[in-house]
Amino acid sequence: MSDSTNTTRTQPLIFQPKPERAAPPSTVGVVGWMRQNLFSSVSNTLMTILGAYIVYVFLASVLNWALFNAVWEAENRRECLDLVGRSGACWPGVIEWFDNLIYGLYPKDQIWRINLGFLALILWVAPLWFPKVQSKVAIGISAVMLYPFLASYFFLGGDKGVFWTALVSAGLTGLIWVWLTVFTELRYGTSFIRTMGAILGNSGKSEEEQLKFGRLSLIGVFVIAVVLVSQWELSFVSTRQWGGLFLTLVISGIGITFSLPSGIMLALGRRSTMPLIRMICTGFIELFRSVPLITILFMFNTMLPLFLPVGVEVNQLVRAIVAVCLFAAAYMAEVIRGGLQAIPKGQYEAAAAMGLGYWQATTLIIMPQALKIMIPTIVGNFIGLFKDTTLVSIIGLFDLLNMARSVGEDTRWLGLFIEPFFFITMIYFFFCFLMSQYSINLERKLEAGARR
Amino acid sequence: MAITESTSMRGSKPSSSILNNETFRSIVFQFVTVVCIFGLGWFFVTNTIENMSQRGMSAGFDFLDVSAGFGISFTLIPYTEGDSYFRVFQVGIANTLLVAVISIFGATVIGLIVGLMRMSKNWLVRTIARWYIEILRNTPLLLQIIAWFFGVFNLLPRPRNSLDWGGLFVLNNRGFYMPSPIPGDGFTMTLVALVIAIIAAVGLRRWARKRQEATGKYFPAMSVGLAVIVALPLAIFLLSGAPLAWDVPVLQGFNYRGGMSVPPALCALVLALAIYTSCFIAEIVRSGVQSVSHGQTEAARALGVKPSWTMRLIILPQALRVIIPPLISQYLNVTKNSSLAIAIGFPDLVSVWMNTSLNQSGRAIPIVAMTMAFYCIVSLFVSLIMNAYNRRILLKER
Repeated sequence: MSDSTNTTRTQPLIFQPKPERAAPPSTVGVVGWMRQNLFSSVSNTLMTILGAYIVYVFLASVLNWALFNAVWEAENRRECLDLVGRSGACWPGVIEWFDNLIYGLYPKDQIWRINLGFLALILWVAPLWFPKVQSKVAIGISAVMLYPFLASYFFLGGDKGVFWTALVSAGLTGLIWVWLTVFTELRYGTSFIRTMGAILGNSGKSEEEQLKFGRLSLIGVFVIAVVLVSQWELSFVSTRQWGGLFLTLVISGIGITFSLPSGIMLALGRRSTMPLIRMICTGFIELFRSVPLITILFMFNTMLPLFLPVGVEVNQLVRAIVAVCLFAAAYMAEVIRGGLQAIPKGQYEAAAAMGLGYWQATTLIIMPQALKIMIPTIVGNFIGLFKDTTLVSIIGLFDLLNMARSVGEDTRWLGLFIEPFFFITMIYFFFCFLMSQYSINLERKLEAGARR
Repeated sequence: MAITESTSMRGSKPSSSILNNETFRSIVFQFVTVVCIFGLGWFFVTNTIENMSQRGMSAGFDFLDVSAGFGISFTLIPYTEGDSYFRVFQVGIANTLLVAVISIFGATVIGLIVGLMRMSKNWLVRTIARWYIEILRNTPLLLQIIAWFFGVFNLLPRPRNSLDWGGLFVLNNRGFYMPSPIPGDGFTMTLVALVIAIIAAVGLRRWARKRQEATGKYFPAMSVGLAVIVALPLAIFLLSGAPLAWDVPVLQGFNYRGGMSVPPALCALVLALAIYTSCFIAEIVRSGVQSVSHGQTEAARALGVKPSWTMRLIILPQALRVIIPPLISQYLNVTKNSSLAIAIGFPDLVSVWMNTSLNQSGRAIPIVAMTMAFYCIVSLFVSLIMNAYNRRILLKER
């Protein structure tokens, strides 16, 4: 501190900052946070107290009912009611029905097939999360194109002719190829085909020649798969015995995989310059979007048998899946169209200036951007579809919801509704919440890439 | 499809080959698509005709005049068992619209409250609102409807020990009962007064706005108008001797008689729809208000606008532009979702028409077509309103 009017300075002025004073204790730490966020004013304090009371009452009653007062072992509902009345949950009914809730009426000794089928899916898509794997696109496409054959054989079983054997073997080949590729890419940094080409073909040969050897080795894998698959003897399980969470996952899985590509095609059709294509796509989208899913399910349930030649029987599950797929495609189309509309015209013009044709511009320039900005909405649609699969219970399929409902119709557990509903609510919440959190995560990751 | 062999020369030499001509290719492509779709349609139609002739079904609309012969548990408009199928269709539409209107009202109110809670400065309130939304949004609506029906309304006490609020509102496992008004002789006068008051309030508001634009003088048209709407009919009502009686529900034998009764299925359906949709509305409200930049609030404060006016005159008009379109589409969703009534046996359009009537009359095609036509018309109507609204609120950039 020096006097500014002083003209003759004996020593140079040096700014000496005072040591920082600590923030007032009432604004930092837990106390500060609470004062700011919970007790900043009288009305705020009242709201906090009221909120805390509501949370306490809610949590206490749920926990008391579901855990502390609950009955875990009983023979029937009468026993539960005698023990605790309605103040506690009666879990033995849910425990006894657990297998049915998850696997439906699938034969007990065959349940391992469902587990194996879903394990295969996890094995198939797990490499997508390995950071060092390069051929993620190929793995993803192979999962969509080939996994269904493998899974449908696991789930359905029965006699397989030559054609069916070939398809299932292709599925198995895909799974083996995925892991061979993952192995070679982590070990040598090249894909399976290239690695095998380099090993089998002599080093002097051209790349093309080497690739030929690589592909040959893939055929070798296929032959091994055929040999393996023809050994398998799985008994036939009718789709009528499918049910529970398993059926819910099958229907929503097929719906989700079908809706994205067909939604993209419909959206492109709706934005096409060809008037007839545009009319057809618009009509389809608007019709399916304006009616409730349940009417479409009913329509396919009653009309599909009429539409097909006399004597052709269509399984009820197939009818439901067709209805769900078409419905999901129409909704997805509108989401994708929203994404396409957000792409500036300059992108199309730039693509055209680079000499890209329509399909090249769409697949390389437009679609990746459109899909990226629509990720939250697309995943939101997937969640909606997953929830909407509960509607198949209305046309008589025993999905997770209908299974839970039939617990309360079991003579020993008559009237036991809340417990199974509580249980499946947690299952639905788990899947939906997982999907939404994953989409938020993915969005952040992609945004970080764009921000640089 | 349109995959070119050599992309580099595309469009530069139109005379090279007719296959590379864009117009030609688009015509061929459309032609092929239309032929495929017509072929598929033809396949379906011929199959359907053959199937129907084999099963002895018919596709005509002549059954609409035939007596339906089944009872409907809840009807908004008068209906008896002897009424025609067409009447059943009308009953279904009325019930669907009833559910939709009540649920929309409830969902908007709850959604607005939760949306405001979601933006609260209080952390606890914000968190409660967030988890309310997360939990209810991430579980299927059908599960919620069924849970409300089987888990709550079915477990209520029997009529003898029903829950009752002052003897006027009664809740038991047969439904919800409340007093119904019975207008007396001079009650029409009150209604006429109400209409006049509303017209007067609207006129007052117009006049106030015109005067404010011309002279800048402010007139509290909103509060004065509200006072007129309340006071005028009330005065007439009291002057004419309060000609309104209430029919109060009374326990007679095993059940309540009199008053208005709402079946448990309707209660469960409306409650579940309103609560489920309120989550989406809350998020819409939040995103709408947050879309208005904070600078607007600061600018309003800098100009000396009263804090109570800032929300009404600055924030809300701008937020509504973002809120209204998705809100309307949620309303449409409620209308469509009301079709889930069938799961708990409430007689809405799908349940009474597409299920009962279809199974009984066997006229699959006309019934499916009529149901879909109803929903299509509703959604077409709503999208017309939306387009008109969007045109009106389109930012007028100067």
